[in-house]
Amino acid sequence: MIAIRDVSKSYAGSERAAVDDLSIEVPAGKVVVLIGPSGCGKSTTMRMVNRLVEPDSGTILIDGRDIRELRPERLRRHIGYAIQGVGLFPHWTVAQNVGVVPGLLDWDRERIAARVEELLVLVGLDPVEYGRKYPHELSGGEAQRVGVARALAADPPILLMDEPFGAVDPLTRDRLHAEFRRIQDTLRKTVLFVTHDMDEAVKLGDRIVVMRDGRLVQHDTPERVLAYPADGFVASFVGSERALKRLSLAPVTEALGPASAADGCDCSVAASASLREALARILELGAPAVGVHDDHGARIGSVSLETIVERFRRPLT
Amino acid sequence: MRAFRHITGPFLALGVYLALASATPLWRAALGALFPDETRILYPDVTPLGLVGQHLELVALSSAISIVAGLALGIFVTRPAGADFRDTVTDLSNIGQTFPPVAVFTLAVPLLGFGVQPTVVALALYGVLPILRNTITGLAGVPATVLESATGMGMRPAERLTRVELPLAAPVIVAGIRISVIVNVATATIGAIAGAGGFGAPIINGLVNLAPAVTLEGALLAAGLALVLDALLGGIERTFARGRQSEDASLTRSR
Repeated sequence: MIAIRDVSKSYAGSERAAVDDLSIEVPAGKVVVLIGPSGCGKSTTMRMVNRLVEPDSGTILIDGRDIRELRPERLRRHIGYAIQGVGLFPHWTVAQNVGVVPGLLDWDRERIAARVEELLVLVGLDPVEYGRKYPHELSGGEAQRVGVARALAADPPILLMDEPFGAVDPLTRDRLHAEFRRIQDTLRKTVLFVTHDMDEAVKLGDRIVVMRDGRLVQHDTPERVLAYPADGFVASFVGSERALKRLSLAPVTEALGPASAADGCDCSVAASASLREALARILELGAPAVGVHDDHGARIGSVSLETIVERFRRPLT
Repeated sequence: MRAFRHITGPFLALGVYLALASATPLWRAALGALFPDETRILYPDVTPLGLVGQHLELVALSSAISIVAGLALGIFVTRPAGADFRDTVTDLSNIGQTFPPVAVFTLAVPLLGFGVQPTVVALALYGVLPILRNTITGLAGVPATVLESATGMGMRPAERLTRVELPLAAPVIVAGIRISVIVNVATATIGAIAGAGGFGAPIINGLVNLAPAVTLEGALLAAGLALVLDALLGGIERTFARGRQSEDASLTRSR
């Protein structure tokens, strides 16, 4: 668990504090996304956790221990770090890049090699093909996968990720998001994730912390940030389509009505689909409702405009 | 050995150069044929190979000092502790570069006296400049994201310097060393006016005694050494640059 307590940081020559009396907790095994416009202090906050930036006041605890008890280098070797520019070492192969932190921790050669192979497989890159490539031979998406593999190399319990999926095309980005979720579902790391993209925050975060001018504006689950923005700033930041974003968070099973004759075409949606997909299908068909089928193709009910509206009317806890 | 493929050729050239330099009768015959009316064909005191030895001694000593000093100073001013001196050092090295080499000796002789030692000092001082400038440029050119991730992974400053910064800056630094050494080979000929020997001795001797063959002997030896060393250091430069030819492409892609 990461506990950031009453932390403030000002930079010389700037009137406003970069981070102003901020307190956040990242529960073990959860993804907390820091989001806000440029200059809101989200990156500074993250960089204080691995002591790339030292706070002026306040404390940061990792599993109850003050991070100032450890030398910065030792602390950082136990915290995975992935950044927007990726920052792969251009003179080393992919395998050498992934093996950096294990090397710093004096693992023996065979163990590093085995770990590198395991990680490349985990991020979906063929170890034989990619291990010996140099960073300039990788596409943007591949480089970011390697960046994530490198951050995970020494199996750190904590990951800091600063827009790690920043500069790739939307399709690659979607794939990287899906893979990040899959990896996170197996590894259960404690992740502090920085982004300025609300879609990304909603998709990846267990909790979202909205920041503005170095202060915390809202700290909530993704669905509650979308449903109940704390103020006009958050509302404008999440955008006018926030209802649609909420739809993509909720599975169709949350608005399931009884199967009826009206939805009796063979164009039903899967139970794992989101309400957003169900709504899209309803609009496409021009029908009042769409059927829902389970993994075996058996009809388990239907979703209609009414059930969706009903689902939205229920207050969130 | 693929790693050495860029320097096998230059090493062969160096061997050929040394073999030719050691063939004193060949020099006598060739220069004698070029200048049939001349009585003074070769520099009388030292053989061509001996001149190569003297000249290489001047260049090796002074370049070694230049490399160590240039690297050390360049690294120092790019560390947080030395950052305050960076602009001053950069300006001084740029101003120093505009000094013609002859002027360096005109100033060095009255200050340092005659002989090998003052010549080496003057050459070393002059040779520091390109190395220092390229060390600063090379280290400053390491991408910020690479530095950030090196630090964020938990590298100590010394680890970061030796494992990331210097290897990435190496092609630029070696280019600086190459310039420095080649300029040094040429400048060291002026060392003869300070009595340091080397290729400058026959050049000056030939000029003073109106013996063009002797001057040509020194000039040919100097040009040959410069070409061979340039090829050798060029090969080393390419060896350092291998494996990351399109580094810039990967940088633009990751931004």
